Amino acid sequence: MKKCLLMLCLLFFSLSVFADDAVLELEKAPIHRNDMGSVERGAGLFSSICMSCHTLIYLRYDAFAQKHGVRYDRMPVNVKWPTGAVPPDLSLEASVRGVDWIYTYLHSFYMDSARSTGFNNLLVPNTMMPDILVTYRGMQVLSQDADLSESYEHTLEWYDELTLKSPGSVSEQQFDAMITDIVNFLAYAAEPYHEQQVHLGVWVLGFLLILFVLVYLLKSEYWKDLK
Amino acid sequence: MSSNEEVDQERRCFLRRATTAVGGIGLAVGAVPFVSYWLPSTDTEAAGEPIEVDISALKPIEQLTVVWRGKPIWLIRRTQAMLDTLPKLNNLLRDPNSEEDQQPSYAKNIYRSLKPEFFIAVGVCTHLGCIPTYRPDVGGVSADWLGGFYCPCHGSLYDLAGRVFKGVPAPKNLVIPPYTYLSDTLVQIGKDKEGTEIE
Amino acid sequence: MSNVTEHATQKRERSIKRWINARFPLQEFWTKHLTHYFAPRNFNFWYYFGSFSLLVLVNQIITGIWLAMDYTPTATEAFASVQHIMRDVRFGWLLRLMHSTGASAFFVVVYLHMYRGLIYGSYRKPRELLWLIGMLIYITLLLEAFTGYVLPWGQMSYWGAEVITSFASAIPYVGKFLVVWLRGDYSVSGVTLHRFFSLHVIAVPLVLLGLVFLHLVALHYVGSNNPDGIDIKTKKDAQGVPLDGIAFHPYYTLKDLVGVVVFLMIFFWVIFYAPTMGGLFLEAENFTPANSMMTPAHIAPVWYMTPFYAILRAIPNKFFGLSAMAAAIALMFVLPWLDRSPVRSIRYKGTCSKVAIVVFVICFIGLGYVGIMPVSPVLSIMAQIFAVGYFAFFLLMPFYTSLETTKPLPERLTS
Repeated sequence: MKKCLLMLCLLFFSLSVFADDAVLELEKAPIHRNDMGSVERGAGLFSSICMSCHTLIYLRYDAFAQKHGVRYDRMPVNVKWPTGAVPPDLSLEASVRGVDWIYTYLHSFYMDSARSTGFNNLLVPNTMMPDILVTYRGMQVLSQDADLSESYEHTLEWYDELTLKSPGSVSEQQFDAMITDIVNFLAYAAEPYHEQQVHLGVWVLGFLLILFVLVYLLKSEYWKDLK
Repeated sequence: MSSNEEVDQERRCFLRRATTAVGGIGLAVGAVPFVSYWLPSTDTEAAGEPIEVDISALKPIEQLTVVWRGKPIWLIRRTQAMLDTLPKLNNLLRDPNSEEDQQPSYAKNIYRSLKPEFFIAVGVCTHLGCIPTYRPDVGGVSADWLGGFYCPCHGSLYDLAGRVFKGVPAPKNLVIPPYTYLSDTLVQIGKDKEGTEIE
Repeated sequence: MSNVTEHATQKRERSIKRWINARFPLQEFWTKHLTHYFAPRNFNFWYYFGSFSLLVLVNQIITGIWLAMDYTPTATEAFASVQHIMRDVRFGWLLRLMHSTGASAFFVVVYLHMYRGLIYGSYRKPRELLWLIGMLIYITLLLEAFTGYVLPWGQMSYWGAEVITSFASAIPYVGKFLVVWLRGDYSVSGVTLHRFFSLHVIAVPLVLLGLVFLHLVALHYVGSNNPDGIDIKTKKDAQGVPLDGIAFHPYYTLKDLVGVVVFLMIFFWVIFYAPTMGGLFLEAENFTPANSMMTPAHIAPVWYMTPFYAILRAIPNKFFGLSAMAAAIALMFVLPWLDRSPVRSIRYKGTCSKVAIVVFVICFIGLGYVGIMPVSPVLSIMAQIFAVGYFAFFLLMPFYTSLETTKPLPERLTS
């Protein structure tokens, strides 16, 4: 019994392994997955901004996404960037990278004249993606005292390294909310069944609890024979 | 082991029945996902959505076949001469007045269509599901043949409104799908104004 | 129901039973294997896992049959067809998560089941064959899990298949040929995927079911061991019923049922609230479609294979690494002949055996942990230490079990 617990502890301890590749400390995305209003706004933002390059092919038959503008016939299937890179499909991005990663990635763009796109990113150095959100956020530059090598020690957040040089069309809070909605929608896109899953779980576990009481009483009743 | 006298048989029996009942309900409800798994998935449903067909290029006597939900749908432009054959055949047919539920209410007439000129039907024989051939040629199938459909599998015969003849294996008239005219030249098949979705 | 109709129903039931029993040994089976199969009365927590593995096996077979209805085993369609199941097919996500969680659950319960056998000496005479069949089940299960893990055709599926099939290349002379033969192509491809699908849904499950049947036949022939590791068949009452035995049905069927409901609660909790288990049950990288041109930054097998994978990595030589891995599994087969103790159960063994078990568990879990982690110098040394511990447990067993002083065995089962 004790060894079993020890094994479980070790298993959970090992989960920390998977964050290792990140250069930056990831900022926690403040999403609420059951806030469907936010997911809806995210779908709208996705279709008007992100869908100029990215697809969500596995959402082709998703009624919710279609209703809010993410329609297959409007997706940029087979689009290539001038650089030759193919913008990835984002259907499962939230499962592959995690929501915190996307949230941090979209926050950590900065101006870099050395790049052909004019932008660079703290989380993905030399990213091929241009900073499509620059008009909303405003232009960010590396802070004076920024030391890129330091961020490898997992202690720095993106905002420790970047400074807003010129403001964009929305305030900082509004921009955060905007990114939150997009990330929330991508979380939905990766697992559209999530709401049904969480809901069904309550019923299944509730049923099993009732069954447990009955089965336990029945077992105890029969085991009285052996006393 | 203790003797049976000490056992509370009533309690035991009650618990056994209650557990069986609750467990049985659990198994029955647990089967629901496995059963609904077999229903058409969302992409299959999307593929089975109503279709729109342009009939502007269809010439008299001509037949146009389109596929809807994996079945051939015929669109045939009938001439006045073809329509005139229909009343003559009434006593040779099994169901001349389309009493059987093989068509939407608006096709329950001698022409079995919304507009007499255009005949729209599911091209599947009501006998065993073969596809009948369109035979508008008078005298082509038999000496007294006025035009209609002939099923090569088992020889079932239908007239030009898809009404089945007596004395052939097919029991019922051809099925008329729900449809509506979006304009004079554009037909929507699979859904009509009344919202009927299944054929 | 009135007494008259009740009586009539009972009469009809009896005549149906008579009809069947004249043609098929239904009553005989029921009596022999359930109501008059006497199991030791002191089964504890560790004795649940046999029935749990049977339950998970049934779950895997049923959900697997359903998944195969919508899965396409081709390189171009496989990944998308899994997403099709997860999104477009009604309750497809539920059945798929039941199957993927079931795979990990299978190994959780099987490992605990094996641990039970280890501590209570269930592999000792006359249960050597029972243990060997069980070990064959374990190997078959590894094969089933591996072929199944390839099917979603994500990055980990692909690179897992690439790495594991290349194990064969370490075999002298025929290695290179074997790898191509296994893959049916010069690298893992749709051809490999298609044959693994066939193996996963037909061949391996058939073998597995056959072995499980043999395992149960052997079990009922020799009877269950127990936490005290003493024979209950030597003390019987006038009717020939072991004094320390109780009828499997209804006592253990009901007890197992209680356990099953608790197990299902944990199982379904994972399915509904933690199906990826933080990357242990479903790895994040596997949500990216297979790409033969790009290796993921960090490849590790799924958690249940990592102890052996760590042994492989602990030795910086391909041939000897693979041999050590094979030896690690092979040693488990010969366990019945390594244990020389006069007693079966750890309860009556000496301190050496107890220490050995603790060391073994730490080493096994340690190896599993190291196997998940990316390679690093510190971890490589740890892997080597754990591997030495693992092998020492088996290789020194004949000595410490025969030299240590054991406690006297009780006459009857302790509670």
